[in-house]
Amino acid sequence: MSEPLITTPLRDRAQRALGDRFLHEALDIATTKFIGLRREAFGDFPQGERLRDRARAIKEATLQHLDEHLERLIDNVERRGGHVHFAATADEARDIVLDIARRTGARMAVKSKSMATEEIHLNDALAAAGVTPVETDLGEYIIQLAHERPSHIIAPAIHKTKGQVAELFARELKREVAADPEVLTRIARAELREKFLQADLGITGANFAVAETGTIVLVTNEGNGRMVTSLPRVHVAVMGVEKVVPSMTDLMVFLSVLAKSATGQKLSVYTTLVQGPRRADELEGPEEFHLVLLDNGRIAQIGGSLREALSCLRCGACLNVCPVYRQIGGHAYGYTYPGPIGILLTAMLNGPRSVVELSHASSLCGACADACPVRIDIPRMLIELRKEVDTEKLAPWSERVIFKAFAWLLRRPALYRLGAPLGRLLQRPFVRGGRIRSLPLFFGRWTRTRDLPRVASQTFQERWAALEREAR
Amino acid sequence: MTTRGEFLARIRGEMAKTRGLFPASPAERPARPRERLEVLRRELVERWPQSLARFRAEFERVAGVFHRVPTAADVPAVLERICRERGARSVVTWAPPTLGIDVEPGLAATGIAVHTMPIRVPPGEERRRLRDIIARADVGVTGAELAIAETGTLVLRSAPGRPRSTSLLPACHVALFDRDVLVETLEQAGIALEAWHDGAGPDGEGGAINFITGPSRTADIELTLTRGVHGPKEVHAVFVEAGLPAAAHE
Repeated sequence: MSEPLITTPLRDRAQRALGDRFLHEALDIATTKFIGLRREAFGDFPQGERLRDRARAIKEATLQHLDEHLERLIDNVERRGGHVHFAATADEARDIVLDIARRTGARMAVKSKSMATEEIHLNDALAAAGVTPVETDLGEYIIQLAHERPSHIIAPAIHKTKGQVAELFARELKREVAADPEVLTRIARAELREKFLQADLGITGANFAVAETGTIVLVTNEGNGRMVTSLPRVHVAVMGVEKVVPSMTDLMVFLSVLAKSATGQKLSVYTTLVQGPRRADELEGPEEFHLVLLDNGRIAQIGGSLREALSCLRCGACLNVCPVYRQIGGHAYGYTYPGPIGILLTAMLNGPRSVVELSHASSLCGACADACPVRIDIPRMLIELRKEVDTEKLAPWSERVIFKAFAWLLRRPALYRLGAPLGRLLQRPFVRGGRIRSLPLFFGRWTRTRDLPRVASQTFQERWAALEREAR
Repeated sequence: MTTRGEFLARIRGEMAKTRGLFPASPAERPARPRERLEVLRRELVERWPQSLARFRAEFERVAGVFHRVPTAADVPAVLERICRERGARSVVTWAPPTLGIDVEPGLAATGIAVHTMPIRVPPGEERRRLRDIIARADVGVTGAELAIAETGTLVLRSAPGRPRSTSLLPACHVALFDRDVLVETLEQAGIALEAWHDGAGPDGEGGAINFITGPSRTADIELTLTRGVHGPKEVHAVFVEAGLPAAAHE
């Protein structure tokens, strides 16, 4: 199953987001704060740039021998008594988890935040199979109560006010709840604590998996990842194949840059290294441990045009700096993964056809590539995607004709030079305050959402020619 | 269902298609991690006061509470004070051989109930009972295998007698440590992790290793920082100057 069909066009989704004043304010505050925290964290950390290069090189080196690293990971997980499953598609991944849930006899599953399980829409499938999924990350819990989808990779409820959260909790608990984050957090702690202790099944993603040791690594701030992997009888981790890293030494390099990029912390509060099921003499830990290795479009990109996106750590830094994300937020993108990297991941998961519109939801300013801890060249891949989907003839015919004509003109310098005086003449009725703010006919579609600069009274070429004449 | 063979074959098929790869290598691992860790420890002995100062600053930055006592015998008094200030009535601790000290006698006269975890865990119902004790305790007392100065992080490895939820379920976590576990950087912590996994059987490595950097926190509601969402609201680190018996970190 691919993602649910999106029926409204991106333009309308963006329009709706732009009209939401609270969303706008929340996005602005949150992304500005994250940007500042990230900058501070790297400012205090002179070796950061070198470690980012190192992190990228490790990802690349791992991809070049992905089969070997995965084999080592599988062998080591099995040596520790864990089970490894292989899911080529989201369908298969869901079936594997459902089968484990069925054999466990689980009626409730506690989950820690995981984009991979969002991606395969596991919660709906669990619910349909009679297993109540409980999201335990506070943000995800809020989203689940509201029957929504996360709007940011690391801050899923970024778009909700404390008042809205209080209303949700009041409806759920059928009592008055104060709109105070401290109180709301305390309520969630009590509610979820019971569920951790009752649930038979714990479901997580994985930030990393260490091949050499068969270790699954979860990074959280709340501690829910620890609960989910310690208390229930069975633990299932769903992980994209690209998350494997060779050794513990490599892991430390990633830990050095991940939290700084995501939240500006030196390290997240909890980094949990889970090594298979409970040991014989240990008090806690699951009786069974399952690792589901997920393909879902990733493997095809090992040799594909989106290969670089396989290095993504899911830190969310590129969302915070993206001028488009900052305006429209995560929901308007319409898929599991929002933001600049989200467009690439959507194309990876659902095929380039799914991003016909989205591939244009970027100004190509490059802020995302600068912020990325592993320096993924997101703009380059977006341009390639645009080329790929251009055959879809997405733009209105008028725009396509104009750009074709413009391209034709750019290739003929003599004609282009003639264009300047002509443009100056034609623009005269439309220039206001030095800009062209509205154009007639179908040209108006362009100026409805953006201004055009006017043709300069003296173009660069004209000035250059004048300078050369003077110099002579 | 996809099999391991099919899955890996697909990956190899795609790998064969990749063109123009640039040379890249993973991080260089220590060739003999155990020896490397020994060398590192000897180097760090000289610098422990600086490491401790850095650890303290970073630990306090993430809202940890730092204590310093001369000897292990002074630990119960610190625990008592922590309990008294918070109205805590029950303490759960790791098994004394893994912790380095037995805090029970020192707290006996205080009226605080001390639950000491056994090294050998009986099967079935008894396990459930012990877990419930941890879940209801006000304070959890653990050791620490590493204290990372750069980030103010405590690293705890689960093992028999050292249940992982001791540092998770109680609202207040107190970790005891000494100079032997101090390292300066994450990179050095990596050497320790390599050493722990070097040649040890699965039972020697611990079911879970947790890096703990301050109390549990969230900022999921309007980015307001709130502590103690699932894990402890408070984390204390007690530095024992004269050291804890070596058993605590072996």
